[in-house]
Amino acid sequence: MTKYSMYSKMIIHALLRRRSRMIVALLAIAVGATVLSGLITIYYDVPRQMGREFRSYGANLVFIPAGSSQALAEQDIDRAAGLLPRDKVIGIAPYLYERVKVNEQPIMAAGTKFQEVKKVSPYWQIRGKWPAEKSSGVVIGQEVAEFLKVEPGQSITLAAGDGTEQKVTVEGIVRTGGNEENFVFVDLPLLQKMLKKEGQISVGQVSIMATEAELAALSKNVETQVTGVSPRLVKRVTQSEGMVLGKLQALVYLVTIIILLLTLICAATTMMAVVTERRKEIGLKKALGAENRSIILEFLGEGLALGGLGGIIGTVLGFFFAQAVSINVFGRAIDFQPFIALVAFVVSITVSGVACMIPVKIATDVEPAIVLRGE
Amino acid sequence: MFWQMLIGALVRQRRRMFMIALTVALGTSLTTAMLNVMLDVGDKVNRELKAYGANITVVPKAASVLRDLYGIEANSGASAQYLAEADLGKLKTIFWAHNIVTFAPFLETKAVLGQGSDEVVLVGTWFDRSLELPTGEVAETGIKPLKSWWQVEGDWVQDNDSEGAMIGSQLAGKLGLKTGDDLDITVAGGEGKERLKIRGIVNSGSAEDDQVFVPLSVAQKAMNLAGKVGRVEVSAITTPENELARRAAHNPKSLSLKEWETWYCTAYVSAIAYQIEEAVGGSRAKPIRQVAESEGVILQKTQLLMLLITVLSLIGSALGISNLLIAGVMERSKEIGLLKALGATDAVILWQNLAEAVTTGIMGGAIGYFCGLGFAQMIGRSVFGSAVAINTMVIPLVIVLVILVILAGSIPAVRMLLSLRPAEVLHGR
Amino acid sequence: MGLLELRDISMIYGNVKALQDIQLTVRQGEWLAIMGPSGSGKTTLMNIIGCMDKATSGSIVLDGLDLSALDSKSLTAIRRDKIGLVFQQFHLIPYLTALENVMVAQYYHSLPDEQEAMAALARVGLQERARHLPSQLSGGEQQRVCIARALINYPMLILADEPTGNLDEANESIVLGIFEQLHREGHTIITVTHDPEVAELAERCIVLEHGRIADERKHKSVVREEKGA
Repeated sequence: MTKYSMYSKMIIHALLRRRSRMIVALLAIAVGATVLSGLITIYYDVPRQMGREFRSYGANLVFIPAGSSQALAEQDIDRAAGLLPRDKVIGIAPYLYERVKVNEQPIMAAGTKFQEVKKVSPYWQIRGKWPAEKSSGVVIGQEVAEFLKVEPGQSITLAAGDGTEQKVTVEGIVRTGGNEENFVFVDLPLLQKMLKKEGQISVGQVSIMATEAELAALSKNVETQVTGVSPRLVKRVTQSEGMVLGKLQALVYLVTIIILLLTLICAATTMMAVVTERRKEIGLKKALGAENRSIILEFLGEGLALGGLGGIIGTVLGFFFAQAVSINVFGRAIDFQPFIALVAFVVSITVSGVACMIPVKIATDVEPAIVLRGE
Repeated sequence: MFWQMLIGALVRQRRRMFMIALTVALGTSLTTAMLNVMLDVGDKVNRELKAYGANITVVPKAASVLRDLYGIEANSGASAQYLAEADLGKLKTIFWAHNIVTFAPFLETKAVLGQGSDEVVLVGTWFDRSLELPTGEVAETGIKPLKSWWQVEGDWVQDNDSEGAMIGSQLAGKLGLKTGDDLDITVAGGEGKERLKIRGIVNSGSAEDDQVFVPLSVAQKAMNLAGKVGRVEVSAITTPENELARRAAHNPKSLSLKEWETWYCTAYVSAIAYQIEEAVGGSRAKPIRQVAESEGVILQKTQLLMLLITVLSLIGSALGISNLLIAGVMERSKEIGLLKALGATDAVILWQNLAEAVTTGIMGGAIGYFCGLGFAQMIGRSVFGSAVAINTMVIPLVIVLVILVILAGSIPAVRMLLSLRPAEVLHGR
Repeated sequence: MGLLELRDISMIYGNVKALQDIQLTVRQGEWLAIMGPSGSGKTTLMNIIGCMDKATSGSIVLDGLDLSALDSKSLTAIRRDKIGLVFQQFHLIPYLTALENVMVAQYYHSLPDEQEAMAALARVGLQERARHLPSQLSGGEQQRVCIARALINYPMLILADEPTGNLDEANESIVLGIFEQLHREGHTIITVTHDPEVAELAERCIVLEHGRIADERKHKSVVREEKGA
């Protein structure tokens, strides 16, 4: 038999034939690895997931006409939209504003695409229902509804400045507590046709997942490349988001550090206790003539084996935990991150190895006579 | 005899006792810190979300005043009515007064600048006012605390400055105006010109960049509406809405008496709005859904996230502690064998072990508790700049958890060892 | 010149003089017994001879090599290569079989050899129990495994500290029989014991008292040895 196979034999038997000790040590490492892998995954995932939640505040970027112009070309908006990263854009809602008359009363009308509005402004509360696309259904604001004394299902007639009239059906009434309650929202092409302003809009609202810095860069890009469009950050939304998100991440970071530290200390002390129990064995081996180095390598081998196994178990469990959190809190699944798994694995092995080595080093420094004598 | 043995054991085996105490301290500090942070994080994040500004708008009941949106012209509707400026102090006397962080009144009109004929929106408001309340407290109000995202080039206008004005950056850009320039204002339907000095330029990234802001008294004088206010924006700390709150928001009268009391005494945005209507005469208070809904969503998710992380940390530390205790008890197999050979019964050995574990557990637990409070404060200060509220409910929870964990850790190991025969253990098998 | 020579060996722990001015010569093939009450220093003396402890002063020469000049690492090597140890507590690694326990001694020395280890176990009559764990062996069997382990690297010197101290009568006879066999085969043996009957089996016996050699006796087995030497 070779020295290596004897070495492996000793390590394997030390682990398998001392099952209860091994399970205790393995459990300690696995718990540490689970906490490590789970929390680190959550930490890296929070900005993306929470950032997505912050989009419920609505548009964080608007496209307004450049210079002193009052109108934007729809195609300019499309070109500007093309410069934004597609997978990060939640929605782009165009708006065309014009004063119209309803029953001789002046009211503000806004032409828009309802599908996009749902995405950009998810806080709209509709009593009734959203109009179908390309129909003559409208959504009117709460204030307007009260003013005109109109209920969903009824019809009203919009009159443009030049006298053109358009009959529309009130499909829903929107409540937001904000400016929207003072408008009548019409399907964009319909309003454009009525006002003879085809292809024109007043402003474009964009909801996009991006940090303030990323937005500034995108804005600059759009500004230089699409003349006629002037992008503006909605500071109220972007700044607050940046600040609150930053604090949330700092919170998760600190909490993670503290939990990790304490868990790893726990794992290390457990390993040390399990190894300390074997001081007599170490003394015996020294009496048999083993060099310190040999003994340390044997225990290191055990520590690495335990660390490796515990690390794998913990990494997998940690990922499942992070997945459970992501699904329950955000309703979305996360992708497996090999990098984090690797880090958790490496840390487990390192902690396990070091935690084994310390008591061994201490014991091997003691003369075997003392160890064997003292029970 | 039992106590002598116990104390003797504790003193002699300092190292092992120290290890147990240390581990229990670690677990306790973690539990304490996490529980305190988890219970307070909702409040902390809520305060941070106030950065988004007002979540309640208060308007005169009968008003139907149309607003601007991103600098587009609008008309004021028929027979605009007003709220009384004097009623504003009452905002801090409602049931949920403590939750009202700040507010600002607005009185808007059209005005013409200089020689031009284009109309701009003139807004009279409070900039940064310390309001003295009937209770003697001082509340910070005005757009400076309310609109934290405003960037101002130059200076803010003082509320008693009857010649000061602030102008939006877009408007300033179009008219080529800078800080220190003069501004001639003719209010629509008002008498004559006013000459004001631009104290600062506002960059807000919204419609406000096309508006002019003056102290409320200046606008009131120009519009001949002394003591009147067009609307008030309020920023309040709220509890996320649930089914009860939504029903109440729709129609408070649809609730039973008990439900109504629960709703009124919980800081739902609809309840606070209702209470504002009670305090400010002739008003209607509406939640600004864009802010209120999103707050609720973010708060709920943050709290759920913290809860799950706390649960993980509790499980982890519980397993860690009981594991270490098991490892520690395994080390003592010889001693237990000896005791049994000397005639100790299983019960005595079990109790002795438990007593040792509990005593060290209490010491470790006490130290851990205070360390945990320290960790919680560290987190609170670093992240939110304020102390974390110490929740006394945490103490019994921590005690129960520590006891459970110690039992879970000591009992299985000791039971296993009790099954050993003394001869085996003493002769080193 | 003897295999082992101790000159003026003293061992002092703080104020306690465990050994004082010990002079001792052990010839090759000799069976020496060291006797004395507990506290007399016999275990200390054995630890020094067995290279597990270093004397405070004096010289100890084994097979011409001055052990007092060696550092810890070299002492370990000597222990490994030239000395076989048997303890009262028959220390065995609890998670390895009898066979594996013997192979561990080979492993640290050179190469583990299963066949040789089996043969060693056979010499002490334990080849049937080779695959058993220590917990499955009786006290006597465990001690015999220790003896087999002590012999596996062909040591120059066998040191046994109360080898039968923890055994019952039956097992004691078996183990002592093995030592007698080893003596006949020419091994150099030093046994530390408090039992006069065990000491009688040796050729020579020194008695320690308070760290000094108080007495020295020669036994009838000396006669046998001188004839054959």
